[in-house]
Amino acid sequence: MTLFVALFSHYRRHPLQLLALALMIVLATTLWTGVSNLTERARASLAQSERAVAGQQQLVRVDGQAVSVRDFAVLRRQGLCVMPWLEVRRPAPAGRVIGVDPFAGGCFGDQVPGQAGGDALIGEPFLDIGDAAALVDQDNPGTLSLLVPVTVLPAELPPGYELKDFSLGPATGELGESFLLNLDALGVLVLLITALLVRSVYQMGRVQRRESFALLARFGVPPGRVQRLLLMEMVVLAALCVLPGIWLGRWLAAVLGGGFGQALEGLFDTPLYAVEGGGFALPAVVMVTMVLVACFTDQRLWAKLPGVSAAGPSLWLAMLFLGVVMVGVTPGLTWLFTGIALVFVAVGVLTPRLLSASAQWWSDRAGGLVLWQRRELAVLFRRLALPVVALQFAVAMVLAVQALVTTFEDTFEAWLAQRLEAEFYVEVPDAARAADGVRYLASRTELGDWHLVQRGTARLSAAAGSGAPVEVDLFAIAPIGPLVTGWTLQTSVADAWSKLAAGEGVMVNEQLARREGLKPGDSLGLTVGGQAREFAILGVYADYGRPAGEILAAGQRLPQAFRPQFESLSMNPGDVTMTEIEQGLTEVWNAGKLTVRDNRSIQALASGVFDQTFLLTRAITVLTLVLAGTSLLMMGWVFFSSRAWYYRLLSV
Amino acid sequence: MTEPVIRVTHLSKRFAGAGDTVTVLSELSFSLPDGGSLALTGRSGSGKSTLLNLLCGLETPDQGEVQAFGETFPAAGGRSPKAASERWARLRRRDIGVVFQDANLMPALSLGDNVRFRARLAGQTQASSAHWLAQLGIGELADRYPDQVSGGQRQRAALAMVFAMKPGLILADEPTGSLDHHTADAVADSLFSLQQSTGCGLILATHDPALAARCQYRLDLGHDQPVLTASSAAPSPS
Repeated sequence: MTLFVALFSHYRRHPLQLLALALMIVLATTLWTGVSNLTERARASLAQSERAVAGQQQLVRVDGQAVSVRDFAVLRRQGLCVMPWLEVRRPAPAGRVIGVDPFAGGCFGDQVPGQAGGDALIGEPFLDIGDAAALVDQDNPGTLSLLVPVTVLPAELPPGYELKDFSLGPATGELGESFLLNLDALGVLVLLITALLVRSVYQMGRVQRRESFALLARFGVPPGRVQRLLLMEMVVLAALCVLPGIWLGRWLAAVLGGGFGQALEGLFDTPLYAVEGGGFALPAVVMVTMVLVACFTDQRLWAKLPGVSAAGPSLWLAMLFLGVVMVGVTPGLTWLFTGIALVFVAVGVLTPRLLSASAQWWSDRAGGLVLWQRRELAVLFRRLALPVVALQFAVAMVLAVQALVTTFEDTFEAWLAQRLEAEFYVEVPDAARAADGVRYLASRTELGDWHLVQRGTARLSAAAGSGAPVEVDLFAIAPIGPLVTGWTLQTSVADAWSKLAAGEGVMVNEQLARREGLKPGDSLGLTVGGQAREFAILGVYADYGRPAGEILAAGQRLPQAFRPQFESLSMNPGDVTMTEIEQGLTEVWNAGKLTVRDNRSIQALASGVFDQTFLLTRAITVLTLVLAGTSLLMMGWVFFSSRAWYYRLLSV
Repeated sequence: MTEPVIRVTHLSKRFAGAGDTVTVLSELSFSLPDGGSLALTGRSGSGKSTLLNLLCGLETPDQGEVQAFGETFPAAGGRSPKAASERWARLRRRDIGVVFQDANLMPALSLGDNVRFRARLAGQTQASSAHWLAQLGIGELADRYPDQVSGGQRQRAALAMVFAMKPGLILADEPTGSLDHHTADAVADSLFSLQQSTGCGLILATHDPALAARCQYRLDLGHDQPVLTASSAAPSPS
């Protein structure tokens, strides 16, 4: 019967307490590991993609067509150093992978793409290009790029090709980072709340073991030795519980990964690459440390810190003031979060003190049992400072996440409504002429609204700021009708839509306008189909956060050399059935089966995916709130348990 | 004259009260020979429990010194109080058994485990809990927990714990104070019987004159100048 066994025997008599403690640690580890694993994977994925393409350039065709394996063969035969880069977009949680041919990269010397920062082209997200090509199918579309060393100059290129900076996605600014920062904050909150829960359960056990500790002191066991053994007890328990917690957390992250990836890609165009989540070491160290700090930090230590007890409420008032100032003036998200945290901590500490002082003042005006009751309330309020801070954080987080999700939802719905305005759209087959389809639709007078969308790329020839050419998506629409004139314009010239239809200019999306400092009335230099032209900006339309630069133009006014990469007809069938239209277009184009998409179904499906995406985010925040409330209750329970003898005395 | 197991010299202890200081013990001196037994008597508040706490290092005197098992422990403010505290802890672990009126047992351990645990703390790894519980007449209760037995049985178990550690001195604070008369007698019988058979010293605080009379010496703390007096069968006190 060693001292350790004697101490641990407490849990033999109170197995439910041990179970509750173990469950709390497992739950805390699961939640924190799950959230941090997702955030870490997203960050690693972003960093991976940034490192992989840092400072690289690619070859593109002047005619705007996508490069192919044939282009690769032609260029290599001409002795040019080219490396294929095949990006395969697999649905989350599998994530994107990149097929590379390291042998083809031999001529890059020490400039091999993907090796910036010391990473080799080994391991996810990099695969052999043959394996990556095998993954490409309808569900996993692939995009081939041809990279060339930065030392290659435009003069060395064969005709029909030009150089372009290589990037994997448009810059997302702070949008993606703020999303990740929100998750970071959620992770910290989960850690804080669960730490309080673990502390509550542990403190309850400590209260029950107080008699044993006093007895051990009488028996001559130094308190330091008891404390060390209690520490060891918790280290063992935490180590045992943390491992299944981490495993469950990673499982949770894998389950959430799908929706999370869709959120990142759909809302911010941020690709989620197939990268390994963190290992077991960091979560294990964090959680064991959290458990030990939560269980063994003596609240009285805080009061003993030099200056703290002397400063009293003025310290917390100063913290509150500083927090409010930071929230008001800070430009960065990190400082904003820090400011909010300061406000919560200060309010959390001051509120119970204020309540306690009120109860004390109130008790001075009472006598007998009422006096006792109010004095007890005063003590209880002082003890509840920590859980009140946690509850505040949790409530704020729930509100913030709810606002975040609602904003996302509104944005997403508005974006869907904008892009899926027509009831149906029909893809123009590769071999068909869109103009034949347009003539057919124009001949059907009973048809509802319709237009042709041609999607290609254009280049801002004189981009503001850097002066470097910027590639943007070009949407050429004809005719300009009700399917597009309902789009929300943030700023515009008078009669913007009429002028657009008349070819008097173009419209730009919000992100492009912000990045390039464009406004209605400005002149925009655009290179379309190899021809440089000036266009007046007629308006800036809402893009609901899509970061890629976009230009909206009237189709019939674009240069003949413009080669769209994708064409489709959007339409509301009106009095004609869609089957009839499909039949007519099939005959006109002399095509086989046409690709016809029902936009309402797509909209419903997308909304469903969105709801699913944030279902677990909502669930985690609500769970956090429940946990915070529980910790408050448990601290109350500990308080009343420690004073049970006192109440029994009153009863006697 | 047997070598004293404990010697107290000019011992004083004061407690800070509400706005003033209460002197509980003043200039107290006495010694107890090895194997001797001493009853501390006196009204409530006379300092019996305080003296017991001073004799095992749970409290530190304001003046004077305590010598126990050949070691000297000075009053508060002496050199290296931490070292003194550690020496007292070692003595309590191995040489001084303490029995209080109640709460002597680890609540999460069975009576048998309590005895084994206490003996092991004292370095008595071969001690048999069954033997000592049987000696106290509660051998059949070894697997019961403290909250599953009566108050008298708990006190017997506490005595079993103390004797299992083979101490040089037992300090007992009202060991029968919370027991009925019949059980108190039985517990006292066990205490004195084992104290005599093991030859350890015993100091007990009690209100019970009959219990005090069974000790060799008596120190009435109710007097202004307490003096150690001998019972009829006792050798002369120092």
